[in-house]
Amino acid sequence: MIAFAKRNILLYFRDKATVFFSLLAVIILIALYVLFLGDMTAKGLPDFPAKKAVLTTWFIAGILAVTSMTTTLGSFGILVEDRANKTYMDFYSSPISRPRLVGGYIISALVVGFIMCMITLIASNVFLFVSGDVVLSFGKLIAAGGVIILSVLASGSMVLLLVSFFKTSNAFAAASTVIGTLLGFLAGIYIPIGGLPDYIQAVVKLFPVSHSAALFRQLIMEAPLLEAFSTAPVAMKQAFEIDMGMLYDINGKKTTQLFSFMYLIGTTLLFFGLSLLVMRRKSK
Amino acid sequence: MKRIIEVERLSKSFGKVKAVNDISFYVDEGALFSFLGTNGAGKSTTISILLTLLKQDQGGVVINGYTVGKQDQAIRQEIGVVFQENLLDPLLTVKENLAIRGSFYGMTRKERKVAITRVMDVVDIQSISNRPYGHLSGGQRRRVDIARALIHKPNILILDEPTTGLDPQSRKNIWATILQLQKETGMTVFLTTHYIEEAANSDYVVVMKEGSIVAKGTPEQLKNDYSTDLLTISTERADELRSLLMLNGLEFNEERSLFHIRLSHTTDAIPILAKFTSFISAFEVKKSSLDDVFIAINGKVVNQDDSIC
Repeated sequence: MIAFAKRNILLYFRDKATVFFSLLAVIILIALYVLFLGDMTAKGLPDFPAKKAVLTTWFIAGILAVTSMTTTLGSFGILVEDRANKTYMDFYSSPISRPRLVGGYIISALVVGFIMCMITLIASNVFLFVSGDVVLSFGKLIAAGGVIILSVLASGSMVLLLVSFFKTSNAFAAASTVIGTLLGFLAGIYIPIGGLPDYIQAVVKLFPVSHSAALFRQLIMEAPLLEAFSTAPVAMKQAFEIDMGMLYDINGKKTTQLFSFMYLIGTTLLFFGLSLLVMRRKSK
Repeated sequence: MKRIIEVERLSKSFGKVKAVNDISFYVDEGALFSFLGTNGAGKSTTISILLTLLKQDQGGVVINGYTVGKQDQAIRQEIGVVFQENLLDPLLTVKENLAIRGSFYGMTRKERKVAITRVMDVVDIQSISNRPYGHLSGGQRRRVDIARALIHKPNILILDEPTTGLDPQSRKNIWATILQLQKETGMTVFLTTHYIEEAANSDYVVVMKEGSIVAKGTPEQLKNDYSTDLLTISTERADELRSLLMLNGLEFNEERSLFHIRLSHTTDAIPILAKFTSFISAFEVKKSSLDDVFIAINGKVVNQDDSIC
């Protein structure tokens, strides 16, 4: 299973197009943010101390959440391609069991997602340093690594369920494009969740990647937010946190770090379970 | 001789289409066995069942004592497959491809290293071992495919149209490798091919048509049963020869100054040539080929007894 996972990881990183397209949503997001979204979001907020740092870290957290999904999606594309190219016949005529093959695909997607998110995290930290903002401490980087693992697991489980329905690379590529485009909205990254209509907010709160984004935001935005709201009332800070998707208001109750953590664990188990059920039914 | 593959009353349908219809045959251990048929004859379905990729509706398959459907994992250890399509990873090197496939058979890293060196020697691909599979020529890829099929020392090598799409020289080289391999290891080779003459070296041939077996035997038996040799006489005295042939009750086709006479046996040419020596400027006796057999069989459904070969 490990050798098979290694094969998938090698295939992902050797195919430059796959790497590029799995980062395309992130690249588009950065471009839009640089071109107008950054300004638009800033103009929508009143002036407060460390505003630039708050918004930059908010955006970095969103990027990390999106990367965890798009890169696992790109890695699982290898499974779809193996199916489309009939490479699976070579595997199935060998004595390696199907659960071990699926395990190999899952491990490789998680490893790819983790590596790409860590690269994004380190690059973001370099960007913060170059911009003159407060960089993330070593402890924060380690904690962010933990959130990345959780986020990649949650995204990987969703993507696994998704890819179990695709038989052709073209259909998968089309779906990846749509998902990449929607992700920015669904995770409340293009526009802060507070600026969205209630019914869309409800969808955003259900979407696991939003909870990854919330965990990333709580971790990465902590220092600039402390500076920004050092003299402001607690209620104002909390309202800002809800508007920016650092925590969510569900039926009048504020979500906590633990809630988002458990939500991600729960959805991971749910989607992995569903994926295995679908795959088992399809293999019969 | 031990039967290494036994297929008994095998059937498989896809909806209303009967892809394989009650076929039975066996393959002797160490034999070169050819499985022929046009597209849609049922070869691929049969092979998919043998490879444990597809479940049969009826009948049974036993491979080296293991029953398909019950002992599939053991069967997968017994067989090495060269698929019609190139199924290795184009972005990985030859060595990486072989190492990953070797891991499927429970080999340790050390065992894989030894196995890779062995198979690369067998098919002579050491010089391309570090090149990406996707950068190789068709012939080189086929060699690597064969190496992949041999990585776990299987008892049976299944070749599904292994030379399709290759140039004549590559085909010749691949066949030299396969035949040498079979000679040296005594491995059983199960072949399907569109190039009928590739089956000429086989120990046994089974021909399928529309899901059923329509002919089986050694290549010589099939040639004797389903085709004829051809005597061609060139003459400058066509009128006289035509009259004499008719007078002697010999059937012939005439094409310019060439007379074609079908022979039941090659030796039937001798008395004809002796009798008409003075009229012959040149002659040729052409042995029938498996191509002729294949065309004859596919032109008409051959009556077949129900016995298993």
